[in-house]
Amino acid sequence: MTKRYVMLADITRCINCKACVVACRAEWETPLGFSRDWVREVESVSDDGMPRVDLFPGRCQHCDDAPCVEACPSGAAWKREDGIVLVDDALCSGCELCVPVCPYEARWLNPETGTVSKCTFCQPRIDEGLAPACVQTCVGGALRFGDANDPESEVSRLLQEKAWLQLTTDEVPGGTSHYYHTGGRELPAVVLPKPIAQQLQGKLLGEVVNPLAKVGIGGMVAAFFAAGVKKVIDRRNALGSGKEHSHE
Amino acid sequence: MSESNARMIRVRDRWTIRLHWFNATCWLVLVASGLGIISGDSLRLAPAFWPTLLQGLFGGNANLVLFHALIGTLWAVGIALFALLRWRTVVLPFLRSVLVLTPAAAMRDAWAMTLTLAHLFGLMKDRPVPPQGRYNGAQRLLGTLIILASLVIAVSGGYLFLGPGLFDFAADASFGALFRWALLLHAAAVFLVLIGLVAHIYFAVVEERESLESMKSGYASVAFIKHHNPLWYEELKRSGKV
Repeated sequence: MTKRYVMLADITRCINCKACVVACRAEWETPLGFSRDWVREVESVSDDGMPRVDLFPGRCQHCDDAPCVEACPSGAAWKREDGIVLVDDALCSGCELCVPVCPYEARWLNPETGTVSKCTFCQPRIDEGLAPACVQTCVGGALRFGDANDPESEVSRLLQEKAWLQLTTDEVPGGTSHYYHTGGRELPAVVLPKPIAQQLQGKLLGEVVNPLAKVGIGGMVAAFFAAGVKKVIDRRNALGSGKEHSHE
Repeated sequence: MSESNARMIRVRDRWTIRLHWFNATCWLVLVASGLGIISGDSLRLAPAFWPTLLQGLFGGNANLVLFHALIGTLWAVGIALFALLRWRTVVLPFLRSVLVLTPAAAMRDAWAMTLTLAHLFGLMKDRPVPPQGRYNGAQRLLGTLIILASLVIAVSGGYLFLGPGLFDFAADASFGALFRWALLLHAAAVFLVLIGLVAHIYFAVVEERESLESMKSGYASVAFIKHHNPLWYEELKRSGKV
């Protein structure tokens, strides 16, 4: 059976040590000021009036219908069968058509490579049978990673044992490969996905140029096909009247 | 038909004919491969199977992009070389007779084209197409479109292929924005030409087979020229070529 890799983040276990961020930056040698993952602190007031901080470890959510894949002109953004969304550096031009469409702001242009970077669930590590760097170093055991299609896996067991939420809204529907356990609390609005925002050029190409091209080319082919048919009919009629004439 | 009307005269040289078919072949290959490169569902024009098929055949999109760029370079260099070597004898006279440069000329050509198209469908038969020169209204409009679009396609294509390697997109966001505009213009210019090419191919293959023959042999009959391009016929007569 095809694997379906998922990341589970139990926010009730996160202690904000940021070992995951350090491990990720070390693993991928990200430039100063850039990281493929993060921990978002969300402050609120509890029902009893006490201040509260919830910690949301975040990264690319590896969407089922990834908008970045749809927006990438060259196929550099692509999704593997096991659900991991990857970037093919050899194909990525750094045009950033994919950057604003990411509802989780997980993609950024790497100043060292000139290509777009994002979390890949540490694809080279997991292909070697290792856990992603962030999972390996998570001291609180908040992050778990594995194959949700394997009923014997830890993530399958945890998915059954606890209640899990995904960062989706009515505007950004569809599943992801990332789950959050909040201990029964609602997801705060700040961690929810932002609406998908296409670059102007991508919007124009997809919503103006391509539809016009379809109508234009299709319309011309249809019109000239009709002209050809008319020509054949006219010729037959002319031949027919000629024949009748010759019989007289 | 009188003997002088049946006479064939040379209307273009062998290199011009070769350039036309070289251009047509490049276009066929470049459109097919270009439609296979654009992969994202929200950006591609071709059905999803086409990029999948072509990228599979070429062993990945990187190879397909390289192939497209190589053929594109061959196309641009080939035409540029021809323009350079035949500037005075072929290219300049061609540009002079085909380019539509003023609004009045555009209106005149658009009207001639409208009548030609209307006649195809049996409409406006009582209004004859005004006498045309070497290139008729539709050909002049399409020719002008193709020349301008080809310049846009060559420049934008060059930037799409070379830009990411030559410029630091992370250092200045305008390089990336320029890339995205180049992608949009590249596609739009190609689609515009494709719309016009439908008519070009129809007229050559269905309506005026002699024009297709003349693009193979280089010769056209005087009768054909007299019928379709009376102003050009007058010019040829004045210069003693017919």
